[in-house]
Amino acid sequence: MRLPAFAVYLFCLFTLFASDVFAQRTYSISGYVRGSEDALIGATVSVPELRIGAVTDARGFYTLQLPEGSHTLQATYIGYESTTRTIEVTDQNLTINFALLPANSQLREVVIEANSLQQKLNASQMSVETLTTREAKLLPALFGEVDLIKTLQLKPGVQSGGEGASGLYVRGGGPDQNLVLLDDAVVYNASHLFGFFSVFNPDAVESVELYKGGFPAQFGGRLSSVVDVKMREGNKERIGVTGGIGLIASRLTVDGPIVKDKSSFVLSGRRTYFDVFTRQINRLQEGKKDFNPIPDYYFYDLNGKANYKLSEKDELFVSGYFGRDFFGFNDADFQFGFDWGNKVGALRWQHKFNPRFQVNTTLSGSSYQYNVSNKIDVFSFNLTSDIRDLALKTDFSLLLDKGHTLQFGAMATKHNFTIGRLNFDSDDDRQSFAAGNDYEATEAAAYIADDFQVNAQLSLNYGLRLSAFNSGGKTYGALEPRVAAKYSLSENTSLKASYASMMQYIHLVANSGASLPTDIWYPSNDYVKPQRSQQVAAGISHLFGEGRYMVTNELYYKWMHRQIDFRDGANLFVNDNLEAEFLFGKGESYGNEVYLEKIKGRTTGWVGYTLSWSYRQFDDINGGRRFPTRYDRRHDLSVVVLHELSKRINLTGAFVYGTGNAYSLPVARFAFQDVQGKNATVVPVYSDRNSFRLAAFHRLDLGLVLKLKPKRGEADLTFSAYNAYNRRNPYFVYFEQVKNEEDDETLGFRAKQVSLFPVIPSVTYNFKF
Amino acid sequence: MMNRRMIYTLFLPLLVLLASCGMEQEVEVKLPPHESQLVVECYLEPGKPLRAVVLESVSYFNEPELPLVPDAEVFITYRGKRIKLPFSPVQNKQTGKYYTHRLSEKLDLQPGDVVGLEVKDGKGRHVTGTTTILGKVPIEAVEWKFNEKDKAYLLTSYQDDPNTENFYRYMVHRDSLTNSSDRDFISSDWLTNGQRVSHGSAYEYEEGDTLVVSLYHIEQQYYDFLGSVSDARNANGNPFAQPSRIVSSVKGGIGIFTNLAYNRKTVVITK
Repeated sequence: MRLPAFAVYLFCLFTLFASDVFAQRTYSISGYVRGSEDALIGATVSVPELRIGAVTDARGFYTLQLPEGSHTLQATYIGYESTTRTIEVTDQNLTINFALLPANSQLREVVIEANSLQQKLNASQMSVETLTTREAKLLPALFGEVDLIKTLQLKPGVQSGGEGASGLYVRGGGPDQNLVLLDDAVVYNASHLFGFFSVFNPDAVESVELYKGGFPAQFGGRLSSVVDVKMREGNKERIGVTGGIGLIASRLTVDGPIVKDKSSFVLSGRRTYFDVFTRQINRLQEGKKDFNPIPDYYFYDLNGKANYKLSEKDELFVSGYFGRDFFGFNDADFQFGFDWGNKVGALRWQHKFNPRFQVNTTLSGSSYQYNVSNKIDVFSFNLTSDIRDLALKTDFSLLLDKGHTLQFGAMATKHNFTIGRLNFDSDDDRQSFAAGNDYEATEAAAYIADDFQVNAQLSLNYGLRLSAFNSGGKTYGALEPRVAAKYSLSENTSLKASYASMMQYIHLVANSGASLPTDIWYPSNDYVKPQRSQQVAAGISHLFGEGRYMVTNELYYKWMHRQIDFRDGANLFVNDNLEAEFLFGKGESYGNEVYLEKIKGRTTGWVGYTLSWSYRQFDDINGGRRFPTRYDRRHDLSVVVLHELSKRINLTGAFVYGTGNAYSLPVARFAFQDVQGKNATVVPVYSDRNSFRLAAFHRLDLGLVLKLKPKRGEADLTFSAYNAYNRRNPYFVYFEQVKNEEDDETLGFRAKQVSLFPVIPSVTYNFKF
Repeated sequence: MMNRRMIYTLFLPLLVLLASCGMEQEVEVKLPPHESQLVVECYLEPGKPLRAVVLESVSYFNEPELPLVPDAEVFITYRGKRIKLPFSPVQNKQTGKYYTHRLSEKLDLQPGDVVGLEVKDGKGRHVTGTTTILGKVPIEAVEWKFNEKDKAYLLTSYQDDPNTENFYRYMVHRDSLTNSSDRDFISSDWLTNGQRVSHGSAYEYEEGDTLVVSLYHIEQQYYDFLGSVSDARNANGNPFAQPSRIVSSVKGGIGIFTNLAYNRKTVVITK
C-alpha cells in the first residue's frame, strides 16, 4: 500500500536529516523584522554578496544559514527604509532583530501584498492568497465597511455566495468547507448580519492567508480552504489610538506597551448603530395607524491581544474575540429575541530551543451559539444550538541542513455540540415539552512535512497528516498525504504542482444558499461519515517587467466524497432524529485560474480570471442526476486598480464580473383548493435542481482616500461608491401572479428579479494618533 | 410546531428590510417544455357525498385558465366495491370551491377503513392512492385571555393519544368557514406524545369576535403533502430556501387523497 510506505519514507528522511543538524559548519542567523507597530510578514533579509536570503514568516521571523566570517545583512520591506547590519559569525548562532522605519506614510498605503513576487515565484507553496489590512482598507467597500473576507472574494478561485455576502466558496467548495482560524483558534461562524459582513474588524487584523489548495500538512479538518487570520500586535513603544466613524458602524482600537520592549496589547471594538436610528423612527411613528415597528438589530465585536516576552527564547501571546448579533422585537405582550455569536480565545507559547528549532504551543477555545426566544403572556419558547471546542496543538519547526526544513506537530480538540435544544413552557404548567441532543467528539491529528530545496531549480514540500475522530462510540481515521513541488524553468519562470487529501469530520447543517446564524455543526458518527476531498493542481508563474509584474496560471481538479445535503422539506431545527434528514453524495469541481498582479509603482493592482465548473450528485436529489452547485460560476473576473494620484490622494477601483448563479425555478404550477376551497392558491412545481441561471453579475466600485493634516497623528477620509454605475444585479428571481386590482382576478404570471444594492456612496473618517 | 417555516418567518423582517432598499424588475425567463401531470384533490368525509377535483399541471406562464381534464375517470374503491364518480363540474357559489367529479352516494366510513382512489385519462395517465379513515380528536377547551389593550389571545387544548403517532391540522376562522382562515398550521406529536397540547395565538381578538376552531386529526401523508406545498410556495420568492418537491399522497401524479376527521367548536369572545 502506498500511503504507509510514504509515511515510512518520511520517517526515515526525518531521522537521517536530524542527524545532520550538528554536522555542518554553518551557523543560524535568525530574528524578527518589525515595523513601527507590527511584525512585518514577507520582509526580506539577505546577504547580497553571498546571494543568500530569507523571507519572514507570518510572525515576522526569519532564519538564514551563514558560514563563518563577516557579513552584511540587509532587511528590506516595501514601504520601509532598508536597513543593513554587519555581523561577525564566529562559532555560534546569532539572533539579529530589525526594526524598520516607514519610508513615508503614502508609500505604505499602496503596498499591495506583503510577500514579494520573487518570493512567491520561488516558494513551493501554490494556491495561496495573502492579504493585508493595509490593502483592504484602500479598496472601496459596501457601506464603507472594510471587510477582508470580501476582499478575498476578488481573488481568482474564490466566489461569493451572492451580492454583499461574506461567505467564501473556494474552488467549488461550500462555505462549510472553509477552516477559519483567528490566531490559530477556529471561528465557526465568521459572519455578522446574516452573512453580509465578516466578523473580522480590520483594525484588529494584521493579515489573512487563504489556502485554496496544496494545503500544508499542519492544516486539516475542512475540505476546501484554510483562512488563516492573524491579529496584529500592539505597539511596543507608545500608546496609540486608531478608529473610524462610518455610515453604519464605528470602531476604536487602543494599543501600546504594557512593559516597554517586553509586552504590548491591542484592544479593539466595533458596533453598528442601525438600532439607534430605528428606535427613533419607532418612537416618532408610535401610535400611527398601520405602522409596524422596525425590529432592533445591531452587532458588536471585541478583539484583544497581548504578548509578553518572557526571555530571549520564550514569548507568550493571548488573543481573544467576542462578537454578538442581536435581533429583537418587544412590546407589552410579545418579547422576541434572536442573538448569535462567537467566543474565541487562544494562548500561544513560543519557545526557541535554538535558532534552528522552535515550537509554538497553543491552547485555544472556541464556541458559537445561537439563541431564539419568544414569550407571549405565560408561554415561553427557547431554542438554542451551539458548538464548544477546547483544543491543544503544538507545532515544531526544525531547520536542517542540505536544504530541509521540517514542520511537525500534533493537535487534539474536544468538541461539544448542542443540537436544537428546545424548551417550551407555560408559567401555569399547562404546557411543557423539550427536545434536543447533546453530543461529544474528539478530534486529533499529527503531521510531519519537509520543505526540501533539492537544488537551485527544484524544491519540494511533502508531508503526511494522520487524523482521527471519535464520536458516539465510532472512530474514524485517515492518512492525508500532501505534496507540492516547484521547478524553476528560469530565473523568472516556475512550474508548480500539488496534491492534497483533506478530511472533514464535522458538518454544517444548513439548507440554504446563504450563511444563516441558525446553521449548526454536527459530528460524524456511525451514520454520518466524514467528508473527504482530493485536489490536484498545476500551475506556471512568470515574473516580468523587471519584477514588477507576475502572471500565474493554475489548473485544479477536486473530487469530493460523502458530500452532505438534506431531504426536501427536512426539518433541521427541532428534530431529535436529524440524521434521518441527511443525504450523502459526491461532488467534483475543476477550473483554471489566471492571475496577473503588479505590486510596485504608483499604479498597482491585479486582474484575476477563473473558468470553473462545480457539481454535486445525490441519489435522492434531482432524480440522481448530477447538478451544478448554486455557486457554479463559469466565468469570474476581477480587476483591482490602486493609483497614487498624489501624496495625499489615492484612487482605487474594483470591477467584478461573474456568470449568474445557478438557480432553481418552478417550471410548472397547479391549483390547490384545499379543504375549504376559499382562495385556491398556485403551487409551484420544481424540476431539475439549479437548472436556471440568473443574469450575469457585474459591478464597479470606486474609492478615494484623502489624507488629512490633523494637528496630531494621522487622519483620512475614505470615500466609496459601491456599484458605481448602479447595475441591478440579480439577488434572486421569483414568479408572481398578475392580478386585476378591482376584482382580484388572476390575469397572468410573470418573473420578477430582485436586486439588493443600488449605487451606495459612503464616507468614513479614519484617525490615528 | 417549530420548523423551517417558522424560522423563515423569523427572517421575514430582514427580507422586508432588504426589499425596502432593493429593486425589483420584470425579467424574461424561458421555461423548458412541461409534460403535464394529473393533479388530484379528494377528501373523504363521513356522511358527505363523494367529490373530487381532477386538473392537470401546466407550464408556469400558461394562461390562467382552469386546466380541466374532461376525459379523466375517477373511481373510489371501498370494501371491494368500485364506485365511479362521473365528470360533472360544479362550483359552490358560497365557498367558491369547485369539483370536477362527484356522486351523491355517501359511504359509511369507520375509523380503520381503507379506501382506494384511481384516476385515469385518455393520455394513459394513471393515478392511484389510498387513505385510512381516522377517528376524531376532541377539542377539550377553547379559552381566551385579554390584555390591558382589550385584545385577547386564544388557546385551544386537546389530549394526544400516547399509543399512536398522530398528526394534526389546527385552523381558526373568523365568523364563518367561508372566510379565509386566521390561523392554519400542522403539527405532529413527536415532541408532545401523550400530552395535553395547547395551541395559542397572539393578542389579536376582540370582544364579540366569533371564531370557528377546527382540529383535524390527519394522516401523515396529508401532513407531508401540506408541508411540501407550503415549502414549495415559500421557495418561490425566498432567496434562503431550497426548492421543494411536492410530496403527494398519490402515485402517478400530483395531489392528495385523504379523509377529514375533525372536531369543531364555535366560540364568541367575551370578557
